[in-house]
Amino acid sequence: MDRRELLKMVAAATGGVVIGGEFFLAGCKNPDAGVGTSATFTESDIAFLDEVAETIFPKTNTPGAKEAKVGQFMTVMVKDCYTEDNQKAFHEGQAAINAACKKMHGHDFMKATPEHKKAVLVSLEPEVKDYLAKRKEFIKEQDDLEKKAQANGDTNFEKKTMPDHYFTMMKQLTILGYFTSKEGRTGATRYEPVPGKYIGDLDYKKGDKIFTSLN
Amino acid sequence: MADNNTFDAIVVGSGISGGWAAKELTERGLNTIMLERGFDIKHGKDYEASNKPVWEYPHRGGKTQKMIEDYPHLKRDYPLNERNLHYWASDKDNPYTETKRFDWFRGYHVGGRSLMWGRQSYRWSETDFEANAKDGHGTDWPIRYKDIEPWYTHVEKFAGIQGSYENLPLLPDSHFLPAMDLNIVEKDVAAKIKAHYNNKRTLIIGRTAHITGPLGHSPQRTNCQYRDMCWNGCPFGAYFSTQSSTLPAAMATGKLTLGINSIVKEIIYDKETRKAKGVRVIDAETMQTKEYFSKIVFLCASAFNSAWVLMNSATDIWPDGLGSSSGELGHNAMDHHFRVGASGEVEGYDNKYYFGNRPTGFYIPRFRNFGDDKRDYVRGFGYQGGASRNGWGREVKELSVGAELKDALCEPGGWRIGSTAFGEMLPYHENKISLSKTVKDKWGLPVLDMDVEIKDNERKMRVDMKEDMKEMLEVAGVKNVNAFESDYAPGMGIHEMGTARMGRDPKNSVLNGNNQVWDCKNVFVTDGACMASTACVNPSLTYMALTARAAAFAVDELKKMNV
Repeated sequence: MDRRELLKMVAAATGGVVIGGEFFLAGCKNPDAGVGTSATFTESDIAFLDEVAETIFPKTNTPGAKEAKVGQFMTVMVKDCYTEDNQKAFHEGQAAINAACKKMHGHDFMKATPEHKKAVLVSLEPEVKDYLAKRKEFIKEQDDLEKKAQANGDTNFEKKTMPDHYFTMMKQLTILGYFTSKEGRTGATRYEPVPGKYIGDLDYKKGDKIFTSLN
Repeated sequence: MADNNTFDAIVVGSGISGGWAAKELTERGLNTIMLERGFDIKHGKDYEASNKPVWEYPHRGGKTQKMIEDYPHLKRDYPLNERNLHYWASDKDNPYTETKRFDWFRGYHVGGRSLMWGRQSYRWSETDFEANAKDGHGTDWPIRYKDIEPWYTHVEKFAGIQGSYENLPLLPDSHFLPAMDLNIVEKDVAAKIKAHYNNKRTLIIGRTAHITGPLGHSPQRTNCQYRDMCWNGCPFGAYFSTQSSTLPAAMATGKLTLGINSIVKEIIYDKETRKAKGVRVIDAETMQTKEYFSKIVFLCASAFNSAWVLMNSATDIWPDGLGSSSGELGHNAMDHHFRVGASGEVEGYDNKYYFGNRPTGFYIPRFRNFGDDKRDYVRGFGYQGGASRNGWGREVKELSVGAELKDALCEPGGWRIGSTAFGEMLPYHENKISLSKTVKDKWGLPVLDMDVEIKDNERKMRVDMKEDMKEMLEVAGVKNVNAFESDYAPGMGIHEMGTARMGRDPKNSVLNGNNQVWDCKNVFVTDGACMASTACVNPSLTYMALTARAAAFAVDELKKMNV
C-alpha cells in the first residue's frame, strides 16, 4: 500500500488528525449512504458561505478564505461528497447562523461587521461542543448495537447515523479548502512542488511556515 | 521474425512479474508477446495527474458519493480517490463474489499495479524459506535462499533499490543505492530501541525501489525528487515500474510485441504433446476471440487472475482446470494482515523540522519467534511507520475562529510517530478462490468467488503486533502512546498470494521449483500465485527474482529441447 496513505491511516486511527486525514470529512465517514438530492446552492448562498469562511480564516498579511474561493468549494464538496443527512444539516446552518446573529445584533449575518460576525461564530462553540459529545455517544451506541447484532448472527442490522454539526462542517471545509487552494498554499505556506532532496534534520524556529507540495 | 500470432513466448500480464518476464525472455533472444487485458498507459505522456496540483481537482483528491456508489469494493480503503482513479479496475466491469469479505484492488492496464505499488522492497531470509518445513504449516518450499540470492542481486541491480546495509539475520541486505535518511526523531527512537533491546530490534529506513543515484543501464531514469506523487506515475521514472524500467528494456531488444485489450481466457492445451500450444484471448473492446501460439507461456496475470486462467484451461481433461490435479489450485490464498500498531507524541524537537516528501518511512524487521524468542503463535511480523510534525489538518483545541487559528495552522504542530505491523498469514487449504457458478462478467466469463479469512494464528499474532509497538514507543520516551487496531479484511494488504503454489511434490503443489506447472511443463507461473508462504515482508522483490530465475531456466530448457 501507499506509504503516505498508511501514515494518514495511523494518524486518523489515533485521532491525531481531524481533517485531511483518512480522506476527508463527513462525506466519507458513511460510505453506504446514498447520494443526496437536497443540495442546491444559489449565488447568495455562496456569498454567505464566503463570509463565514472569511470569518474563520480572515485576510491578514496572508490571503483570506474568500480570496481562495472557499464558499464555492464548500458547495461542490457538500453537493458531491456529503451524505444526504449531512447535506440537510449543512443547509440548515445558514438559517441557524442568521438566527444567532439576529439574537445578538438584531440583523442578518451578511449585514454584520467582521467583529460582530466573529462574535456570532464564537457564540456557537458551546452548542457545537455539546452536539459533538452527544454524537460521539450516539456512534458508540450504534457500534455496540452492531457488535451485538454480529454476535447474534443478525445480518440485517443497519447502523443509524447522526449528521455532523453544520458549523463543524463549515469549519472543516474552510480549513481544507484553504490549504488545498493555490492562494492558500502559495500565499500562506512554503510551497515546494519539486523539493529535489530530503533533509531529515532541519532547524526550525517559531513562526516558520509549514512546507506544502503539489499533493 | 514472428508472424502475427506465433511467437516463441507469451507473457500474460504486464505488471511487475509480466514486465520482468518480457525483459528477461526478449533479452535472452525469444520473440515475445506480452498480453495485457486493459488499456495502454505510456510512460510520462499518459501520467495525467503527475504534475497536477491538488487545487485542480474539484474535490481536492477526495471521493464523491457517486464514486462510492460506483466502486462497492474499492471504497473500502484508500484507493478510491480522485487522483488516480483510472488506474484502479472498475468494480462494475469486473465484479467478483464474496463468500467471505475480500478486498480485491486491481490494476487493469499496461504496467498493472507496478504503477501504484507501495515500492517497499525486501529480500526474504533463509528462515522464511525454511518456515513451512520447520513448523509444518503448508508445504515445503522447493527452493532455499541460496537458490534465489543471485536473482535478487540480478533484479536489484536493474530495478534500483535504496536502503541501508544492516547485516541483519532476518532481513538480508540488498544490492543498494544510497539510502534515504531517517529524520531526526526517527533516528532518536531507533537509537533508544536498539539500546533497550540490546541490538535485537532495529529501526531502519524503509527499503524501496526508488533511485537515489545513477543507473548506468537506464539513463532515462532520474533520481527521486521527493514530491511524493509516486502513485500518479512518476515522470522522472524515479521508481521502478514496468513503464519506467522493464518495458523499455524489452522494447530495446526489438523482440517484444505488446497486445493490449487482450483478456486471456484460457491456455490452449495439446493432449498429444501434453503441452500448451498458446492462449485464447477475448478482445476487451470488440469481444472477438483470437488465438496466439508459442513454445512457452508465462502466466503473470496477478495471483488470483493467473489461477483463474488455469481454472478455465484444459477443463476437458481436468474439470477444475490445468494444474488442478493436486487439488491445490485456487487454495492456500494469502495476504499480509495489518492495520494494527501504535502511535504517540514526541517531545523535545520543536526546534526541528524536515524538508522534502520522502516516499518511504521506517521499517522494523521481524524479531518474534527467532533465536530464543518463542510465542504462542508461529512466524512473525515487521513494522512500517514514520515520524512527522502535524500539519494543517490537526485540531487546535484552544482556538475557534479567526486570524490566530489561521496563523497557527500555517505553522507545523507537534511531532508524532506511528507504525502499523504487517504480519505473516499462514497457508490454509480451506482459504480458497473458485469460479462462480452463477455470476459472469460483461465478457461472459465466470467471475471469482472469494472465501478467505484469518484464523487463530493471525489473531494471536495481532495481540503482539499491537502491544509490541506500544512498548517500543514507550521505551523510546514517546508520550501518550495509543495502540490501535482498525478493521482488516483479507486483500486489503494488496498482497494476494498462494493460489498456485510451488512445491516439491505434484501431489500437493501446482508448480515445481522452477515455477513450471507440474502437469504442463511449458507453462510457468511466476507472480504471487506461486508463493508457498508469505513471510512478513512485502513480496514484489521476490516476484521479480523468481520471474527472472524462471525465465532463465525456461530459455535454457528450450535450448535443450526439454520443454
